[in-house]
Amino acid sequence: MIRTKWLTALCATVCMATAISGMTPGVAATLRYGGTTPPLTMDPHVTNDFVTTALVRQIHDTIVDLQDDMQIGPGIATAWTYQGNNTWRFKIREGVKFQDGTPLSVDDIIFSIMRQKGSPLYTALFGGIKEAVKVDDTSVDVISNGPDPILPRKMVRLFVMSQAWAKANNVEKLPDLGAQGTEAYSLRHANGTGPMQLVSQDPGRKTVFARNANYWGPFPGNVTEAIYTPIGSSPTRVAALLSGELDLITDLPIQDIERVKSTPGFHIEQVPQQLSMFLEMDGTRDVALDVFDKSGKPLQANPLKDVRVRKALSLAIDSKLIVQRVMRGQAVPLSVGGAYGMDGFQKDLDTGRPYDVEQAKKLLAEAGYPDGFAIQLNCPLERYTNADEICRAVASMLARVGVEVRVKGMVWPEFARMLVNGPSSSFHLIGGSGNSGDLQDTFVSIMATRDKAKGRGGTNWAMWTNPEFDAVVDELVTTFDPAKRTELYRKGLTIARDQVQGIYLFQPVLSWGMKDSVSASARADAAVMLQKVQIKP
Amino acid sequence: MLAFLLNRLFHALLVVFVVSVLAFILGDVVGDPVASILGLDATPADRLALRTRLHLDEPAVLRYLYYVQNLLHGDLGVSYAAQRPVSALLAERIPATVELAAVALTLSLAIGVPLGVYAAVKRRQMLANALMTLSVLGVSLPTFVVGILLIFCFSLRLGWLPSFGRGEVVTIGFWTTGFLTASGLKSLIMPALSLAIGQIALVARLSRAEMLNVLKSDYIRFARARGLKNRAVYFSHALRNTLIPIITVSGIQLGYLVAFAVVVEQVFQWPGMGLLFLQALGQTDLPVISAFLMVAALFFVGINLVVDLLYAVADPRLRIKTLSARS
Repeated sequence: MIRTKWLTALCATVCMATAISGMTPGVAATLRYGGTTPPLTMDPHVTNDFVTTALVRQIHDTIVDLQDDMQIGPGIATAWTYQGNNTWRFKIREGVKFQDGTPLSVDDIIFSIMRQKGSPLYTALFGGIKEAVKVDDTSVDVISNGPDPILPRKMVRLFVMSQAWAKANNVEKLPDLGAQGTEAYSLRHANGTGPMQLVSQDPGRKTVFARNANYWGPFPGNVTEAIYTPIGSSPTRVAALLSGELDLITDLPIQDIERVKSTPGFHIEQVPQQLSMFLEMDGTRDVALDVFDKSGKPLQANPLKDVRVRKALSLAIDSKLIVQRVMRGQAVPLSVGGAYGMDGFQKDLDTGRPYDVEQAKKLLAEAGYPDGFAIQLNCPLERYTNADEICRAVASMLARVGVEVRVKGMVWPEFARMLVNGPSSSFHLIGGSGNSGDLQDTFVSIMATRDKAKGRGGTNWAMWTNPEFDAVVDELVTTFDPAKRTELYRKGLTIARDQVQGIYLFQPVLSWGMKDSVSASARADAAVMLQKVQIKP
Repeated sequence: MLAFLLNRLFHALLVVFVVSVLAFILGDVVGDPVASILGLDATPADRLALRTRLHLDEPAVLRYLYYVQNLLHGDLGVSYAAQRPVSALLAERIPATVELAAVALTLSLAIGVPLGVYAAVKRRQMLANALMTLSVLGVSLPTFVVGILLIFCFSLRLGWLPSFGRGEVVTIGFWTTGFLTASGLKSLIMPALSLAIGQIALVARLSRAEMLNVLKSDYIRFARARGLKNRAVYFSHALRNTLIPIITVSGIQLGYLVAFAVVVEQVFQWPGMGLLFLQALGQTDLPVISAFLMVAALFFVGINLVVDLLYAVADPRLRIKTLSARS
């Protein structure tokens, strides 16, 4: 606020600001909106960037629809049943047309499944699919290598593309990631069955959509044209909204929320993002990386392997305070794995982590560290909101129990390299998001023991390991009965909580700012669903 | 003259070579392209496959040779993130940056030189001193602060100028220009001004200092003794000699303006090379990073070459020297 006042005063003297408001009435039914980064491609199968996916979702439908509350619903498939024998049967909607006017057929579905499955970005999600087989003109069987109870859930990320169009434009095969050659046609052109069609994609400048007149589904909003502009600098993005150049912005920075709210003619929409911020601690190494005694000599041990130390660290970190101070209230405290809105998430188990410095000190002493120790906390910068401040808050909280934390900030490429080429970190902050939105994915990739052969623990970067938990995962991935699954989710979450698999902090809240004339509800996947946006003239 | 040119060219090639090595090393420092392309969720097998296909598993020296070989064939590679040829990406972005830098340079000369001359000629007047004090402010204000301040005034408060982008552009052959549309011109004002403000101050201070120096020299005294009017002394005798260092500095500044418009481009979402470079750094997009550095180096080298030649035009002594050396 102080900054704003200062700017106002300065501006008044420099340019003698007149009381002209910068607002111009938006042309009816055109939505001009902005976010942080440009879409990388219009080909939905060769990106998993979440900004790109959110935009591509406007053009391409997914086989199963991802609804606004992140639950699944009928989309291109109207119904699905498990046939036994690792086979799911999907009933395909009739009368659907692609944006170029050609009708959607089961062959297009099979083509899309096999094309996206081949993408190295989607091996974790769709690598288990063996084949897709046409049953009749309106149904298709998807056969996996093993039983897959959450396959329909995963299908919210399988985008439908026209085979004939792909063939005609020579993109039947996936464009090679990073390979030599010329530009693939699907990079800047698209032909889906979604509510909007692509008019133009000018990479890095703007993406223009127009309403798809042939859309099969409901189109409750009145947007006929939408223009997306990436604006990386947040002050500029907010200024573009408040000056009326944009109607809506996603990624409203925390410090500007009050400002937008208090400006007449604007309001904000918020929703907790499907992302949990937590600290991972080395659970495997006998000698942890970058751990020292108080005199600075490397420690020939891994204190983090001792559950008493893990508990002590958890007790010493007050996530409510972090939410209040660092996140300015724009986050929801979280104490267990997963996130609100995920299938299988057990809200009642999220009772909050206790905060007790005395107890923490006692546990550390019991574990043989009465004077604490020193440790490096690896911290990814810029990727997550206020990550640097979060790490520093953690450091000062742990200092109170005698654990000296050295925060090592790294830009994302450097941080990612450390993880995927190692993983070589014993203590770090990271954000976890479920791939498909089912807690099972979190169990399998983030919490299960790292095991290449089984395809488990792919993103378990601090190598926490617990045989009891792994047994739960083994059972969960083959269990279809919902009641039994709930029981397994609860069992798994309880083990992970009691053994302190990670120190969960919070789930950040997404904020969008928009003009009062625009109504759009924020979604946890950050997608602005253009067919539902209403613009008053 | 020919020897002079060859000498310069050799230096230029050396610089380009060193930059290409540096660009190559930098790419290895900032991150791992495979981790950036595939993200955290990919399987180790997929990672390995991609690493092999991108030749990233081979020794650095060999990779550098591939890189140079492609460069010599005019192939800058394909951007990992954009999945398009880097040459196409750069071709799209260069006009925006060049137009921005050119306007900023023009502004800085058009405003800076008269200011400096005025301050030198009337150096005992209040206004001249005030202007010089103000120029210290101009030099010391960071570009992004100026940018955000301008946006706050002219976009947010007054609503006169767009806060981001380049407006409508007109395509002429391979070039896109914002000079021919109203929205293009309006979009250009604030970015060019924020980029120019530091330069205006710099040019003004430089011209003042040089002008003061020149005014003290003998030939000015003789010119006055000849009874020439002030106007003639200042503008046809003094200014001409003042211009030489200004040309040098402006030339180098143009290189800076092009290569380091990064900050301004980020603030105003100006679709130029700088913005592309920033995004590439965030994505470990090695081909784009090294291509940007190469283009920037070529720019610097090219401009320096031109500046050296301009010297000869502006300063007859240099011309005579080289001519006499040849004969």
